[in-house]
Amino acid sequence: MADLSLKHIYKVYPNGTKAVNDFNMQINDKEFIVFVGPSGCGKSTTLRMIAGLEDITAGELKIGGEVVNGLEPKDRDIAMVFQNYALYPHMTIYENIAFGLRMRKMPKDEIDKKVKEAAEILGITDYLKRKPKEMSGGQRQRVALGRAIVRDPKVMLLDEPLSNLDAKLRTQMRSEIVKLHRKLQTTFIYVTHDQTEAMTMGTRIVVMKDGFIKQVDTPKNLYKYPANKFVAGFIGTPQMNFFEGTLKKDGDVVHIEFKNSDAKITVPYSMLMKTTPAYLDGTKPVCIGFRPEDISLDPEKIEKAHATIKVKVSHTEELGTETLVYGDINMQGNGFDDTGTRIIIKSEGFDEYAADQICDAALNIADIHLFDAETEESILPRIPEFNYIDCSVKGRAISALDVDIALPPAIVCAEGSGELLIPPVAVTFDGDIPATVVEQEDINGQNLVTLDVNGKRLYALSDGVLAEKEQKIALDFKRLTIKTGGKEVAPMPEINGLDGTFAMERVSEPVTKDGKTKNKKVAKYYILMDGVKFPAPDDIANKMFAALSGRKVFNTQFRYELPPDGLAIADEGISAEVKAYLDYGRDKYIQCAVGEENIYVRCDKEYSGTVKLYPDLEKVSVIEKDRGIRILKFIYFSL
Amino acid sequence: MKTVNKKLYKAKSKKVLNVVITYCVLLIVCFIFFFPCLWLILASFSKSGSIYSFDGFFPSEYGLDAFKTLFTDTTMYNYPKWFLNTLFIAAMSCIIGTILTILTAYVMSRFRFKSRKAMMKGTLVLGMFPSFMGTIAVYLLMTQFGLINQRWGLILIYSAQAPMGYMVQKGFFDTIPYSIDEAARIDGASNFQVFMKFTLPMSKPMLVYTALTSFTWPWSDYILPKMLLQDKDLYTVAVGLMSVADDATQFARFAAGSIIIAIPIIILYFCLVKYMINGMSAGAVKQ
Repeated sequence: MADLSLKHIYKVYPNGTKAVNDFNMQINDKEFIVFVGPSGCGKSTTLRMIAGLEDITAGELKIGGEVVNGLEPKDRDIAMVFQNYALYPHMTIYENIAFGLRMRKMPKDEIDKKVKEAAEILGITDYLKRKPKEMSGGQRQRVALGRAIVRDPKVMLLDEPLSNLDAKLRTQMRSEIVKLHRKLQTTFIYVTHDQTEAMTMGTRIVVMKDGFIKQVDTPKNLYKYPANKFVAGFIGTPQMNFFEGTLKKDGDVVHIEFKNSDAKITVPYSMLMKTTPAYLDGTKPVCIGFRPEDISLDPEKIEKAHATIKVKVSHTEELGTETLVYGDINMQGNGFDDTGTRIIIKSEGFDEYAADQICDAALNIADIHLFDAETEESILPRIPEFNYIDCSVKGRAISALDVDIALPPAIVCAEGSGELLIPPVAVTFDGDIPATVVEQEDINGQNLVTLDVNGKRLYALSDGVLAEKEQKIALDFKRLTIKTGGKEVAPMPEINGLDGTFAMERVSEPVTKDGKTKNKKVAKYYILMDGVKFPAPDDIANKMFAALSGRKVFNTQFRYELPPDGLAIADEGISAEVKAYLDYGRDKYIQCAVGEENIYVRCDKEYSGTVKLYPDLEKVSVIEKDRGIRILKFIYFSL
Repeated sequence: MKTVNKKLYKAKSKKVLNVVITYCVLLIVCFIFFFPCLWLILASFSKSGSIYSFDGFFPSEYGLDAFKTLFTDTTMYNYPKWFLNTLFIAAMSCIIGTILTILTAYVMSRFRFKSRKAMMKGTLVLGMFPSFMGTIAVYLLMTQFGLINQRWGLILIYSAQAPMGYMVQKGFFDTIPYSIDEAARIDGASNFQVFMKFTLPMSKPMLVYTALTSFTWPWSDYILPKMLLQDKDLYTVAVGLMSVADDATQFARFAAGSIIIAIPIIILYFCLVKYMINGMSAGAVKQ
């Protein structure tokens, strides 16, 4: 029973194919995690890397707090159930289950006891003397499960164990596996391409595509809040309806126009407040999504709906408890082709609809999904990227949220009116601007706070649930974007980047052994940034070697990234030319030039001329430039 | 009705004619194939022993004298010694050759390493050259190692050449699902344990096939033993019998020796033919 930590896991094959890209995840003890995605998305590869059956190209895998990258599968205390069962055909069922325990030199009577217990749990006690070829598919799968559970592993890995079973047996075995998870209280990691299996079994689901994680969340959140069009279309049967269109904000309403049809709806802006404002100008193409179950043909719902749309019915599919109505929002469409105007509606019961019948459908705007037409990312996120606030600058003060705020010396912006982009993380709860807490939402461990500041909506992130309804907030100016008078003041970069290499030197060091001191040549490793050598901590050196074998690591270019507080002014280090002193009020920084790179360093006083920068290598992130692999990442907390 | 009967009669006649022709052809082929063997068997029972005493094709008188002298008269032709030499060389080559072939095939099937494809292509190309092309080189090498006139020299050659024919075994191992190896590794087995406890027990037909083919070749080979064994007492049966065949008066002894040396192979094949067929066709169809 253990937790797992996967940090920047990559799998890159010798021909350069990246099967898994920058896989990051924390899996808690006793969770039932499901990796789901289409064929070739990297889910099985990730599972096999956890098992130790595939080498990890780069990244760190921990099981139960222990780094297991270099460990053999047998030493990781994991068990695996394969898609094709992988039973030993020449052994009896008893011997199949007992084999792992025999390898661990367990006493015979204990093996016997454990095997019988496992057989009892799985209902295969009567088959222990048989061989696998004498068993049915479902029975073989139980034996495979028995072989896995008998070892009391820390983590159970299941690679599409139900794919080879018929539909009825699959449904039955699904419940068995869920029951087993509850009984064993062990961490389960399950791979499947079937979204129904994923939604019914997992406590959290990892949706993958082309080697990337698309979203990690609970089944409910994946269904309700898909982060991108791929997840939205993958989860849910029938698939979500997608329409191309545009959004135009007009005062307190938003006009939604559907492309390739005359369909138009108008909805209150209050229902789309978290939409990224850049998409509300009526010109940017967006993808509008509605699940079939969020569209209704019920006359009562149509009457109460915020928005309705005309649908030309093409055909229906009666499923018993519901009817799927296929149609088109384009009155010239046929509803059969998968065009941008086809619509599928879930209607309850046995309502009948004639072909070419035109009817009204109510759209549940509360469950609308909006995506960028090009990037397919959600433009209606649960945690908005920015708060877009109207502002005006006069002298050394900015007026926003009906409050005048003094600008820190580091901020120099043009006078006039414009827009202030405030990321939720830039709102702090230690200021003097009064605000009222309207709502608090726990979104994947982050507390999103909806505030009312002088009648204006503001989103913020807090460390925990706020007890008091009345709060005093402040703005972290180094994170804000200020657009006034036709000019833009960008936020201060959070990451500094420097190119460099990794080197080794053999140095003579006195080594004492058996009371005698001798000079011995010892390998010392260094990180070189801008040509300056810094001793590399052991764990960083190990990770570099893990990612690049042999002498390759010394011939590779790296990108080293450090936060502003990861560099300090010192007597020796990287030479930097001070360009500016940035006083943000609470925090002070200097902007320096190192070659062509702009580097920001936290400081406590003003500097000028040339300074020496010394990096804190405990805070460095390392990226291999050639293959674009992040070997190491330091998690940046608030500056 | 008459027309129908005529048609049936015609079809039946055609069938009968086909069967007769087929069996005639088969009889002719059998005769061509078996007649030399039959003739040799009859010749081995010749009482006089000399080929000149034959009455036409076949011996004039029959007896077991040739078989008796084969094992009793060892002054010039020490057949029992040759038989034991052949048995020793074939058995050792079979054991060592089988081990090497199976291990080579297993490694090529299961492991991925840098020079794997190059090695596979190389052995394929080398295998296309007739083996006797390397005879002189082998002779020189054996001279260097001081293995001329040594049975172990022959065993070394046969054992070293055996793995060149690993492709059949590799094809068989490729049909064993790799997930079984992986499951065993997760259960705690090392690579060697996976091979010994799982791959080998599942490969019995292939083991038998490999052992049989590794045994048969040294048993009946002439060129290499003739080249490397100079001492008459070290001769294998193939080399020794050729020296008997040079003497026309000892033809019956030659024939008897040929019959005796064939018997063990025939028995082996009959006992293991089931495994041979399984081994040869194993892997032909994905299960």
